[in-house]
Amino acid sequence: MGTGSLGRTWPAKNKWQIPGGYENGENINSQSLPIPNQKNGGQRTVHVLHNSEQPASVFAILEYGNKVVPLIADRLFDLVILKMTNVCTDKKQTKIECKGPRFELVDFCIKLGSVTMTQNFKGVLVEIEYRPSVVPANCWELIREFVQGFLGSAVSSQIPQYLQNRMNEIYQPMDTIHQYLEHFGQYRKSTGVI
Amino acid sequence: MEQLQISLSALKVLRSSVGQVFYSLANGIRAEHGEDNKENKYLLELQELLTTVGTNLRDVEQAVNSLNPPPGPFNLGNTAYLGQETTQDRQALYGTLVNVYKWTDKAHEYSNAAHQILSQNSLKRSSMNSNRAKRNRIQTGAHNFSPPQVDQVMASFDRLYSDMSISITRPFTSNAVIHVTLGHVLKAIIAFKGLMMERVVVKSYNEQLDLWSESRYKVFQRVTDHAHATMLHFYNPNFPELTLKSFFAWFHSFISLFSDSCKRCGLYLHSALPPTWRDPKSLDPYHFECKP
Repeated sequence: MGTGSLGRTWPAKNKWQIPGGYENGENINSQSLPIPNQKNGGQRTVHVLHNSEQPASVFAILEYGNKVVPLIADRLFDLVILKMTNVCTDKKQTKIECKGPRFELVDFCIKLGSVTMTQNFKGVLVEIEYRPSVVPANCWELIREFVQGFLGSAVSSQIPQYLQNRMNEIYQPMDTIHQYLEHFGQYRKSTGVI
Repeated sequence: MEQLQISLSALKVLRSSVGQVFYSLANGIRAEHGEDNKENKYLLELQELLTTVGTNLRDVEQAVNSLNPPPGPFNLGNTAYLGQETTQDRQALYGTLVNVYKWTDKAHEYSNAAHQILSQNSLKRSSMNSNRAKRNRIQTGAHNFSPPQVDQVMASFDRLYSDMSISITRPFTSNAVIHVTLGHVLKAIIAFKGLMMERVVVKSYNEQLDLWSESRYKVFQRVTDHAHATMLHFYNPNFPELTLKSFFAWFHSFISLFSDSCKRCGLYLHSALPPTWRDPKSLDPYHFECKP
């Protein structure tokens, strides 16, 4: 089971209702485009992600060895990617989608997304956002208490890898994307439902 | 004044002697005059009375002669018109008016005496200034500080806390509106009149600040409410800087709004809200529902 401040998996049969909250749809999808065999060798991968919270933006993360280059562009970037088919090889099976309801409770935003990779169900991710606070270090304990309040002590108190170095920085939409990508990477490596 | 009194009493005596003459005339010959020579006796009595009238008249004339005539006509002001009043029930107003003047004079006299006594004993509890020269000057309250003074006070508070920055704008005439940024936790806009706080709006770090709209987050709406209550709690018209000092100390305690647990229940959340209430003295965090 993968854990994190934003991501958490459990069997999909659970049904959730939050009293006083309201719900609407949400999804995030990711497409990975490996760019094979450049001159200096090594594989580069461009991950293109869309988040329904930021519907006008396209997030792209270029992975090259240990380097990670993030990019935020507007929707036209999708068309640019289409034109690049001669440099990118689009692997159909690498498309991952996380779709599900979105709840609001006071200032919290809760998203339950079921993860599917090319029609195959892989697991569920839970995203908890506390919107008034912009620095993760300030509200980490508060979010932990909130998550443990309805998922029990199974939730790890450990700060996820990605956030550990960024706890005192202002949280950006890109940070959410990075964490989703981290979890999608785990799903991709594994076989079957986790 | 004494002359006038003498002449008035002389006039009174004259009147009474004249009255006696007419009294005796009206009664005619009475039983006490006896049977014999009653006409002569009556005439003698009348003569005696008339001589008294004559002497009294001389006295009056003497007294009147020694009086000085007043230099000009009396100035009665608007009361002169009372004499022209034709309505019956208003003709008595003059007497009442004179009484009112007498009372006013007395009240003035007593208040002077009271003022003398009170100024010797300092029993003052209010900030009222009894000095006439000072009272007429503009009072130095919390609300009329000059812009440079306000700037100076704000700059001192800006320096006081390293993680709280204060910037001043003056969108409406000379009254300051300050923007307070508290770490990466929250922002606030405070409207002043002089050094008197009038309105506080607390918002999230990533929201746009303006005076009229409230935050879109419940937690900051709560904090705004508490800020208004605390603003009134610390209010002191005589020491505006002390008020501000206490308020900013209280406000600064919100630096840990999301990272402090409630002092009472030990939890971070109560109905999905962090502890938004701070004790004004100890600055301990409490949920609004848990506050002592």
